[in-house]
Amino acid sequence: MATDRLSEIFAALADPTRRAILARLAESDATVNELAEPFEISLPAVSRHLKVLERAGLITRTRSAQWRSSSLNAEPLREATAWMERYRMFWDTNLDRLDAHLKRLQQQPTDPSHPSKGSTS
Amino acid sequence: MNGTTRQDLVITRDFDAPRELVYRAFVDPDQLAAWFGPVGYSVPRDSVSVEPKAGGHYRFTMVSDDDPSQTSPVNATFSEVIENELLVGSEEWAGAPGLAEGETMKMTMRLEFHDLADQGQSGRTRLVLRQGPYDPELENMARAGWNSSFTKLDGLLAG
Repeated sequence: MATDRLSEIFAALADPTRRAILARLAESDATVNELAEPFEISLPAVSRHLKVLERAGLITRTRSAQWRSSSLNAEPLREATAWMERYRMFWDTNLDRLDAHLKRLQQQPTDPSHPSKGSTS
Repeated sequence: MNGTTRQDLVITRDFDAPRELVYRAFVDPDQLAAWFGPVGYSVPRDSVSVEPKAGGHYRFTMVSDDDPSQTSPVNATFSEVIENELLVGSEEWAGAPGLAEGETMKMTMRLEFHDLADQGQSGRTRLVLRQGPYDPELENMARAGWNSSFTKLDGLLAG
């Protein structure tokens, strides 16, 4: 089981049915019946998925017993992706440095067994 | 690529260097110390310890050039190593959003080194880096569901 919020979000997103449910909710709020329609799974199964999504903070459910509808809560998604985006930036600059390092390494004329490229054409 | 969830960071970069050289830049302590770290940070050579084998460790520390008291240590364990081809490791991370103090989460990193000679680019290497709260079991769960509905979700995230 997930032990913290971010892990819970990622775990919730790992399931294709739950992602499809989120995509559906991105269009509009929906009831359990509406959400179950496109899937070949039972209503209780859909309810279980909704519980996971709700616990992860990805959806909000109204408490009205009769028309209990779900709506998407995009904030945790943004938080999770923003977090990963920071690491993308980290790696982009880091790999720039690796590129420069590899160029330097290959330009050093100390090793004659590595002739520079492009001598044939 | 199979089972990529939106929360896996995937970066692909081609280098004008042979595969062995790119691989060595990650596992040779002298080389790692020479290049690793974001701008403004350095990796002291004596902080680097690499055991490139399954179960081996991967340790080094990034130190801020301006303020040496600011450090960012890496302490990962390799789960899979194929020389010149593949490095997979994981690390317990603290400080992610949503984590309480003292809580950590497991981050997995996968580095694939592809020789582009197969594609007629001799002496060039493609690095595929994948990082995330990435768990092979989750991948199996996600594999079946990489479908058009996710495109909508991407649109939502971008909006």
